[in-house]
Amino acid sequence: MDLNTAEGSRTAVNTTSSKPGQHEKSASPADSDLLTSCVHCGFCLEVCPTYKLTGDENNSPRGRLRLWREEAEGRLEQDPWTDFYTSECVGCLACESACPANVPYGKIFENIRHQHVASGRYSPSLMLRMAAKAATYPLLMNLAMLPVRMLRRRGWLRGTMSVPGRPASIQSTASLARQLMQRHRPSGPRVALLTGCLMESVFREINAATVRVLIENNVQVIVPDDQTCCGAFQEHCGLEGAEQLQEANRKAFGKLQVDAVLSNSSGCGYALGRALSGSQTVRDVLTFLGEHGIIPRKRDSNKAQVYVDLPCHLVHGQKAAGIPTNVLDATGYRWQLAPAARDCCGSGGTYQMEKPENAREILARKSAFLNDAEGDPVILATSNHVCMMQWHSALTHSLVRRPFQVKHVIQLLDPGEDF
Amino acid sequence: MQPSGNRVHLETTLRNCVSRGRVLTSPAQLAGYDTDGLGYKEYRPDAVVIPADTDELIRVLQSARQLGVPLCFRGAGTSLSGGPVAAQGGIIVHTSALRAIRKISPEGFWCEVECGVTLNQLDEALKQHSVFYPPDPSSGPVCTIGGNVATNAGGAHCFRYGVTSNYVLGLEVILLDGSVHRFGGPAGGRGRWREDWKRFMIGSEGTLGAFTRFWLRVLPRPEKVWTFRATFPDLITAEKAIHGLVADASYPVAIELMDPRCVAMVENSPMAVGLPVDSFMLLTEIEGPAALVDARVESVAEILRNAGSRDVVYSDEAILRGKLWKARKVAGGLMGQLSADFVVQDAVIPKRALAELLQLVYDEADAAGIRAVNVFHAGDGNLHPNFLFDSRKPGELEKVELIGKRLMQRVVEVGGTLSGEHGIGNDKAAYMPLVFGPDTTRLQLAIPAVFNPRHQLNPLKVFTERRFTP
Ligand SMILES: Cc1cc2nc3c(=O)[nH]c(=O)nc-3n(C[C@H](O)[C@H](O)[C@H](O)COP(=O)(O)OP(=O)(O)OC[C@H]3O[C@@H](n4cnc5c(N)ncnc54)[C@H](O)[C@@H]3O)c2cc1C
Ligand code: SF4
Ligand code: SF4
Repeated sequence: MDLNTAEGSRTAVNTTSSKPGQHEKSASPADSDLLTSCVHCGFCLEVCPTYKLTGDENNSPRGRLRLWREEAEGRLEQDPWTDFYTSECVGCLACESACPANVPYGKIFENIRHQHVASGRYSPSLMLRMAAKAATYPLLMNLAMLPVRMLRRRGWLRGTMSVPGRPASIQSTASLARQLMQRHRPSGPRVALLTGCLMESVFREINAATVRVLIENNVQVIVPDDQTCCGAFQEHCGLEGAEQLQEANRKAFGKLQVDAVLSNSSGCGYALGRALSGSQTVRDVLTFLGEHGIIPRKRDSNKAQVYVDLPCHLVHGQKAAGIPTNVLDATGYRWQLAPAARDCCGSGGTYQMEKPENAREILARKSAFLNDAEGDPVILATSNHVCMMQWHSALTHSLVRRPFQVKHVIQLLDPGEDF
Repeated sequence: MQPSGNRVHLETTLRNCVSRGRVLTSPAQLAGYDTDGLGYKEYRPDAVVIPADTDELIRVLQSARQLGVPLCFRGAGTSLSGGPVAAQGGIIVHTSALRAIRKISPEGFWCEVECGVTLNQLDEALKQHSVFYPPDPSSGPVCTIGGNVATNAGGAHCFRYGVTSNYVLGLEVILLDGSVHRFGGPAGGRGRWREDWKRFMIGSEGTLGAFTRFWLRVLPRPEKVWTFRATFPDLITAEKAIHGLVADASYPVAIELMDPRCVAMVENSPMAVGLPVDSFMLLTEIEGPAALVDARVESVAEILRNAGSRDVVYSDEAILRGKLWKARKVAGGLMGQLSADFVVQDAVIPKRALAELLQLVYDEADAAGIRAVNVFHAGDGNLHPNFLFDSRKPGELEKVELIGKRLMQRVVEVGGTLSGEHGIGNDKAAYMPLVFGPDTTRLQLAIPAVFNPRHQLNPLKVFTERRFTP
């Protein structure tokens, strides 16, 4: 090659894919290329909650990838420690955001989890299995959770789901949406809403707030009756069943004449986005409202202070920049990002249940600021119901020794039940 | 690898050394420590210890000495030269828990940090006091100060500010016998700290002792930064710009160059920024008090234009500056996306030899069918040819190593040297005879002999002669 003309340089790079990270690398899960895509630079170490907790390289993305790779290539025997380090991963995907080589860690982790469950190396607890099964029968789950909704409404519930709230006991979100569509007749863009399994059966008040905010902002909301759980739960646990759920959702949402499919929980939105890729664009409701424009709320008191935490599956999964500032401004509250807002709170889908000690320690570090945070009241706002449960546990486990409220951002925009 | 009886003894002994720290001994606990930033060369340790504090670390060193097993220190394991790996087995001491920033003295312009503090962690803390620590290896988000001092790390802005050694006021080191020494200190060494052996320690790559604490010099944070990006149709014009910048009174803080192969790699990727693919891309920055740097902006742009660039772009605005740096910043990651492995050489050369050595890289790489791209610190002649290959394909690694050898041979012939910032590790140890004859090697080896006579600390690193014999 002649230095001064630099010939040949153009042929050097394969550009067959338009997605970063997919060049010259197979996306096939079985392909060892996925495992070798890690160049061992270590850029993911400092964002990983379990590495920060333990200082153990094996408990980092780079370490886990190394163990899986060496085992796949026959240089490391199957070892309970590999299973242990695999089980330690929160699944927050912060490592994907940090990785300059675009290693599809989430995909690899999911594949490994499935292999470990299929071969009996990892066995999700009976409770998780039952919950995963229940999620595949939305009607049954809604019925089974009726007492939970009723107890929550009265503030009598204890435990992880005890985040204060007033879910409707009987009326479904779909029925509420039909009723409000009739009453207000919005004429703007048409969206279909994913109501989710736990969201609809336990945290239904958030779905209701979502419908009200959208309709108030002139958005037409459809809630397909034949939709089902997004399958994230099953995928996360490495259990079978996610594929059928995704197929059902493709049927429910795939052919709808809508401008977007919306989700109000980042993890569910991330999973549904992958299921519907190619047929519908799945958006987070707050991102959608940020672009659509939103009526601001007025507040009398200016003493309240909102601390906004960003769910991992929003910023690292869906790769959103964050929650739009115009949406946060529209809440009418003084707000600021929580310290380390892009770091995991320890909730990670089912992590609270599987690794309660780690989850608590991660949260203890992250929530410490609330002890002397300014504001009356102090509100911690996020956009994922699992993160809400986790943040609320900071109170129930006395990690934070002063009262604070946990809210979904959409609830801060809610025109109220009388709307 | 230790026989199994010894391994049990090793494990028990190490467990007695730590109470809050961790000891890892199962194969799947060791595998995570098989390699460093090189990734494709693996060395299995016999044990890993993550001490919770210095006292635990002292006990580990003393026990290792008694047991007669090799010891290797590891910070973030981002070394690109095979530094923090157990080349002869033994114990890896991971410093991940020693990460307290103990003091920041903004008036005294120094800070005191533990060895496992990461560069970004330090920067975040210093920001609040409007000071900064200049050495800026691009592994900053993860690499530790311990690793930086042990390799005498550099970075883009070290062209003006100088490398790590210029900022170490003092350090605390634990020798193999467990004795704790302080060389230098915040005020340059007083009283018991007077002895200034720290220069021996900096760049010693874990062969003399374990660094636990540092006193580092910090500077006032620059008030304003201007970033310039320009492309050049050929190396002649790019070099003219480099020479112009180096000699100019505006005194740029960084001068980075990307060769056409690297530019094309970026432009043919989704990260494209719109550079002409046949060009050399140069980045430079000036920084300081606003009035001073604002007055110099035009003269820097003029140097770039006069040298032959027709697309000089510059900005003092953070987001735009980020965009100007983008091609440079994404290059490393893209290499990772494009190939299973890559190795980066770190030669320092007299600037006059740049054209010849780049041509050598291209000729050798093309002949071997290996892709090579160059992105480097042009201001201080620190060449970084990156070779993209797949270690799983038979013969590829050998080809890359042969190219490296030929390149280094010529680098030394033209008056250059083997490493500017990444260190020697075991990856470049074989090239050391190119630089040091038998007499100097003897002197070089005499230094570790004082601290570490049997080469128990990080054996087979820096000099191949440094083999540990129990
Ligand atoms: C993507 C990427 C970009 C990079 N860019 C640069 C760059 O711009 N400039 C540059 O100089 N380097 C660069 N490097 C190389 C590497 O980051 C540096 O060498 C860095 O200083 C290593 O720090 P570490 O904490 O990872 O140390 P490690 O890799 O863990 O160790 C490096 C050496 O230091 C020794 N060591 C570590 N801690 C101690 C201690 N406490 N006491 C005694 N010895 C110790 C180890 O034994 C080893 O020999 C880059 C690496 C990567 C992967
Ligand atoms: S997903 Fe989160 S917890 Fe798991 S390896 Fe990546 S950063 Fe760590
Ligand atoms: S950042 Fe990506 S390439 Fe680097 S070690 Fe982590 S996973 Fe591997």
